[in-house]
Amino acid sequence: MAFEDLLNDPVIQKYLHELVGPTGMPVAAAPPEGEVTDEELAEELGLELNDVRRALFILYENDLATYRRVRDEDSGWLTYLWTFHYDNIPENLKEEMDRLLEALEEREEYERTHEFYLCDVCSIRFEFGEAMDFGFECPECGSPIEAMENDRLVEAMEWRIDQLRSELNADVGN
Amino acid sequence: MSVSELEADLSADERAGLELIRETGGIHQSDFWKELDVSSRKGSRIAEALEEAELIERERTVYDGHNTYFLEPTARDLDFSLLMAGDMLSPFIGEEEIDPQSDAFSQWLMNLAYEEY
Repeated sequence: MAFEDLLNDPVIQKYLHELVGPTGMPVAAAPPEGEVTDEELAEELGLELNDVRRALFILYENDLATYRRVRDEDSGWLTYLWTFHYDNIPENLKEEMDRLLEALEEREEYERTHEFYLCDVCSIRFEFGEAMDFGFECPECGSPIEAMENDRLVEAMEWRIDQLRSELNADVGN
Repeated sequence: MSVSELEADLSADERAGLELIRETGGIHQSDFWKELDVSSRKGSRIAEALEEAELIERERTVYDGHNTYFLEPTARDLDFSLLMAGDMLSPFIGEEEIDPQSDAFSQWLMNLAYEEY
């Protein structure tokens, strides 16, 4: 099996699982060295050919596998020869860290600059303006809604934003 | 060859250089050789060797008005666990658009605030 050091990382395992789902995971978790056909993989892993193909095309869409087509001289059938490119995983995950940072920054700003009210019964959160429109009563159950602190949420977001910025070198222009 | 095998083959100077790049998270080559206390030629050779071994990335840039390179660790060195909140992976993986107000992200934030932080 190839790329073992990458596949030992539980986050990378989780990432592949997120992409291909449970049925595709046997394909994603054991990339062979060199080229392989979808039929070979299906036989080796004891999977339906369709499930193998689905997983391979998801990996392809995420730059983690490529294929080349070869026509069999006798039968005229096309064979797909697949190569796994898991060396692209770190770059993909770096991009995901950039995207996560962007979302955190935007959401942190929103959380910090708004006031919230909560219905304890329904666990629904309202912005101050909404709460006022409803006369500070939950529109679902009629119970009074109370001001809600989100300090801990904001602090946790700032903590992770700092970690991501320093890891991604986001505060250093180059 | 795995990364650890590549690293085992490095000279003492190259290893020190790699450490410096990882510690700083990225450094200009013009500062790199001064920090390492080697000549600029030697600093340049070290950076080239590390780039060749794919242990760092080296990109041309202008810094303080002169041409140099920016040296930074490869993505492989990043701490990917920052994508996790508790046992939940970033909800934006596999999504085209990022929506900072999505329910999935709110759930991720709750995990972050009450499980990790």
